[in-house]
Amino acid sequence: MDLVQEPGGAPSKSEIRSYFDPAEGTLDRRVFADQEIYDLEMRNIFARAWNFMCHESQIPNPGDYFINYIGEDQVIVVRDRKGEVQVLLNTCRHRGNALCRAEQGNAKSFVCSYHGWNYDLNGDLIGVPGMTAYYRKDFDKSQWGLARAAQVDHLHGFYFATLDPDTPPLPDYLGEVGRIGLGLLAANGPVEIVDGIQKNVIDCNWKIAVDNLFDWYHVQYSHASAGMAGFMDIAAILHPKHQMVMFGDYGHAISGPVITPERQAEIDAMTDDERLAIAAAGMLKDPSKPVVPPRLSAARELLGPTGVRCMGHPNIFPNLWISTNGTQLSLRLPRGPFATEIWWFTVLPKALPEEVKKKQIAFSAHLFGPAGMLEQDDGENWSQSTRASRGVKARSYRHHMAMGLGQDEVLTDATGTSRVETTISEHAQRWLYTNWMNWLTADDWAELKANHPALPKGRV
Amino acid sequence: MSQARAVEAETSGLDALSLQQRMELQFEIEQFLYAEAAMIDGRAYRAWLDLWTEDCSYWMPIRRTVTLSDIDREFTKRGDMSFYDDDKQALAMRVAKMESGSSWSEDPPSRTRHIVDNVRITGVNGVETTVEVAFILYRSRLNTEESMWVGRRVDTLRRVDGVLKLCGREIYLDQTLIRATNMSTLF
Repeated sequence: MDLVQEPGGAPSKSEIRSYFDPAEGTLDRRVFADQEIYDLEMRNIFARAWNFMCHESQIPNPGDYFINYIGEDQVIVVRDRKGEVQVLLNTCRHRGNALCRAEQGNAKSFVCSYHGWNYDLNGDLIGVPGMTAYYRKDFDKSQWGLARAAQVDHLHGFYFATLDPDTPPLPDYLGEVGRIGLGLLAANGPVEIVDGIQKNVIDCNWKIAVDNLFDWYHVQYSHASAGMAGFMDIAAILHPKHQMVMFGDYGHAISGPVITPERQAEIDAMTDDERLAIAAAGMLKDPSKPVVPPRLSAARELLGPTGVRCMGHPNIFPNLWISTNGTQLSLRLPRGPFATEIWWFTVLPKALPEEVKKKQIAFSAHLFGPAGMLEQDDGENWSQSTRASRGVKARSYRHHMAMGLGQDEVLTDATGTSRVETTISEHAQRWLYTNWMNWLTADDWAELKANHPALPKGRV
Repeated sequence: MSQARAVEAETSGLDALSLQQRMELQFEIEQFLYAEAAMIDGRAYRAWLDLWTEDCSYWMPIRRTVTLSDIDREFTKRGDMSFYDDDKQALAMRVAKMESGSSWSEDPPSRTRHIVDNVRITGVNGVETTVEVAFILYRSRLNTEESMWVGRRVDTLRRVDGVLKLCGREIYLDQTLIRATNMSTLF
């Protein structure tokens, strides 16, 4: 293997292009275990992509901040005195110490606990102890403000940031799939985050946690016990014959159940009050009803004719899962090849009746998170899959990811989306790893923009 | 409620009891809590479930690393997100899940040990008694996985037909980021 590696241990481009074989649907297990691949992911994916930061409702007032990550770079997401959201690297320009050691809160300014350098909420360096006595005024504060994300933008109040000035504007990056993904959360009006982000760390590679969100094959077996315990009707959430995979530029995708056109026509004929009544009656217990409560009539315009039928799981590349079941967002934050932090944000429409809110929050608390009826079992599977990527012999066997390969025709609609409507498949996982290879082998955004895989057409 | 305020909270209803009565109550409650812990560690989940009243509440808020000035927001509040917000039905589902034969996070089963200590009766109100305890929950899973959760618990016990039952449990962990693949065990 040394022969195909570039100096410094980074795998060569041709080596990277062998990791996933789209024609065979097989994946090299080294992608879950190699430090060199992980380091490249940090540089070529996380430092270039738009990364989800937080929702505006988490930081409503000047000085409110929330700590998040762009790859291994810890950032402060803060509302400054002018009301603008800033994304600042959480590291003092003097000796690198973290400025914020709390994970959220409110600050008047950011004072380093090491030597007392003081930064304004917009990152400007405004105070340096000993400026006269020790530095003897030989120091230009204006040159030593906090490092900032290159771009910050939001959609429906969901803030994203990128470290790369060449990253396309957020709307271009998200495309139709990202727009539908975030739109699913905003489809019933302006939203807010329920206080409390569930956070735990799983001994797995981040990509296993990401590709699993597209995987509706595991639900019936991994999560069988949740059905047996009476938590949910697994058959009701699966809709195995009515699945949709939607492909987006740069690796975004949506995978999972789709509302049939017939059922959508029934929903379209309902008043908003009738739709709310169904939501209030509770979900997941009646197998004849779709798992996601009917969206309000305004959703059709926001999501488009195909998006409004979506009950699946969008992923905004690289690591933001939008879970329409519990109306939640989940970040899968890499912590080395063998560890991933899972963060769950619960999102609710502000105008939702209190009773419905209560039900949704209780349901979200029981669904995912480390004690969730579903996610308890996921962590164990992912960590064992990751562990098995370390064995010398085991890693010589590629993962099989070929379900449905070559069996489906791509459909399009007037909005330009590219999708298949089919049974349970692994189309989205293949799209993810195809794009992942492209990100790793691109030298910069110019190359990514020019050469990223075209949306599938014809047979996939 | 912040930890600091909880510690400040005065005990109530205890003054009416004699020292002898308080000692007997303390002994009874300690023995009850030790037996309860032994049921979980001994995987007698059905028997454990029977210890809970029908109207019980079992709740673990999310704890955050916050500065002293934000300390009132250290724990999430009732009605916000949590790790556990269970009634009797939800607890019964957790038990049924473990018994299902398909609960991969608990089959092979975890090996747990609950150490319950610093048992302090903080309130007596009619048939209900409030107790604060410090706990260590050690979990060993498969061959190499180990988790340890340490925290404070506020338990409410109710005497029903002369028998002690649990009707409330609030679990305040000393971790913020949960450093475990899951929390598939009972606290």
